[in-house]
Amino acid sequence: MAGTALAPGKVRVKTSEKRGHRSRIALVNAVPVTVFLLVLFVYPIIGVLSLSLEGDSGGFTLHWYADALSGVNLSVLMSTLRISAETAVLSLLVGFVLAHAIARMRPVFAALAMLIVVVPHFISALVRTYGWIIMLGEHGLINTLLTSVHAPGAPYSLLYNETGVVIGTTSVMLPYTVLVLQGVMRGVDGRLLAAAAGFGASRLTIFTRIYLPLVAPGIGTAGLLSFILCLGYYITPALMGGDKQTVVAALIDQQVMKQDQWNSAAAFGVILLLLTFAGLGVLGLAKLRRKKTAARRSSS
Amino acid sequence: MMELPPTRAGHIGRGLSATAILLFLAMPIVIILVTSFGADGIGTFPPQEYSTRWYEQMAAPGGNWATSIALSSLIASLTTVFSLILGVTAAMALARGRLPLHAAVYGLVLAPMLIPQVVIALGLFLFFEPAGMLGSPLAIALGHTVLAAPIAVLIMISTLKGIDERLEDAAASMGASRMTIARRITFPLATPGLIAAAVFSFITSFDEFFIAQFLSTPDTRTLPVLVFNALQFDVDPTVTAVSAVLIALAILALALVALVRKLGGHRNQQGGFLPTEPLA
Repeated sequence: MAGTALAPGKVRVKTSEKRGHRSRIALVNAVPVTVFLLVLFVYPIIGVLSLSLEGDSGGFTLHWYADALSGVNLSVLMSTLRISAETAVLSLLVGFVLAHAIARMRPVFAALAMLIVVVPHFISALVRTYGWIIMLGEHGLINTLLTSVHAPGAPYSLLYNETGVVIGTTSVMLPYTVLVLQGVMRGVDGRLLAAAAGFGASRLTIFTRIYLPLVAPGIGTAGLLSFILCLGYYITPALMGGDKQTVVAALIDQQVMKQDQWNSAAAFGVILLLLTFAGLGVLGLAKLRRKKTAARRSSS
Repeated sequence: MMELPPTRAGHIGRGLSATAILLFLAMPIVIILVTSFGADGIGTFPPQEYSTRWYEQMAAPGGNWATSIALSSLIASLTTVFSLILGVTAAMALARGRLPLHAAVYGLVLAPMLIPQVVIALGLFLFFEPAGMLGSPLAIALGHTVLAAPIAVLIMISTLKGIDERLEDAAASMGASRMTIARRITFPLATPGLIAAAVFSFITSFDEFFIAQFLSTPDTRTLPVLVFNALQFDVDPTVTAVSAVLIALAILALALVALVRKLGGHRNQQGGFLPTEPLA
């Protein structure tokens, strides 16, 4: 019938018209954010990059990088990497235990636990760090408790050293790791574990051979994420670390605010940036590999 | 999720470790709230005596704290306006339209969440310094928008994706104009998301430290900058009351968002606003 032959054609015209209209509208709507971020995010970072490569009297130099990667500066960089690694490992361990427990809680308790994880994330890190300073001091809550139970060697020095910094940064990064791990753990198909148990696998075998491989992507993402976020983090180390516990971000702040050493600060900024990109690159590659493996499996 | 029958020991072990870790997360906040009502100076817990003197000191008109609270509120309001404009338009492009270079724009929007904030702050310092805009509330608000806009975009994308487009198509088929559809259908359905985006932009700015630190001058110090200085250099016990107010503000804001989402009929997706989401 002519009517039915016409109808789909008409509809098709309409959709393609709609499509063209939509991509025009999308283009217009994408302009504000793109322009804003190009001017106030990308351009300033290019500014940092070019400043880090500029000699005192103009011209190109790698002097600032050589400077950043030697002597005291190098040791600050190394301790930043060490603190970030320690924080990532610790928040991964603690986060794994918590996320695993939450995955097996009754829904009401799980919701309450997630609330306690998420709410602190939205409270200023400055404020939470201050809470830790009060708690970890020589006469703070932790040491008072430990002394009262006659812990050997108490009171401990938990503040103004690396221990204090890592405790503080771990509490800041923990919500991220718990959320990422929670997401992955929720996706694990319980039937696989039950099947393994049906074939007589022990709990340990099930955990190491089935559960861990299934949540491994989450572990990688959570660990790298807290490592990356820690690299440029500064509030907790500045407030909870001693004079010796400087991190790169604190050094950048000092160089700009107190010493007017912009080029050197810029070089450190670019180093942080490159380390971040490296971390993100690893994350992206791992994701790509998983996708490829999944595609190969589904096609074979 | 594990479906193996739980062992008793495992059950107790998990319960205890989870409780300990949750305490680890909550304790610093509880400590601040209690200490802020302590009459004795900084850092004594539990306090020997209780009073509200630090709160009175904080609110004293013309004082440093009152001035910086006003400044932070102004900057956070500006940031909210900027970030809503960018968030709504960007989400229209990314969630609804067929955008050429979709991935590139999406990546650009997410990037500020992952790049170290100190680098962004340094870049903005280099950008605003030659213009003589250091210490300008507008400059700080523009800087904060770099961090707040991505959050607003993500929230608005999930909001727009949650709206059934057939409702708009239905209205259109009945002859409603684009403006009418936007005003009568899309906007009311998007309101909970808009409020969430506004609240999160506001707290992002109100709590932000790095950019404010780099762009401020001694006359224009936002609240976090003042708190940081108080904690690093002097021991002004007023800072406990200020911290307690910041905690209360964050909890109120989250409660508001939860309420609006509930009224709007959205299922409560915890953590859906966190920057981890695009990565996970």
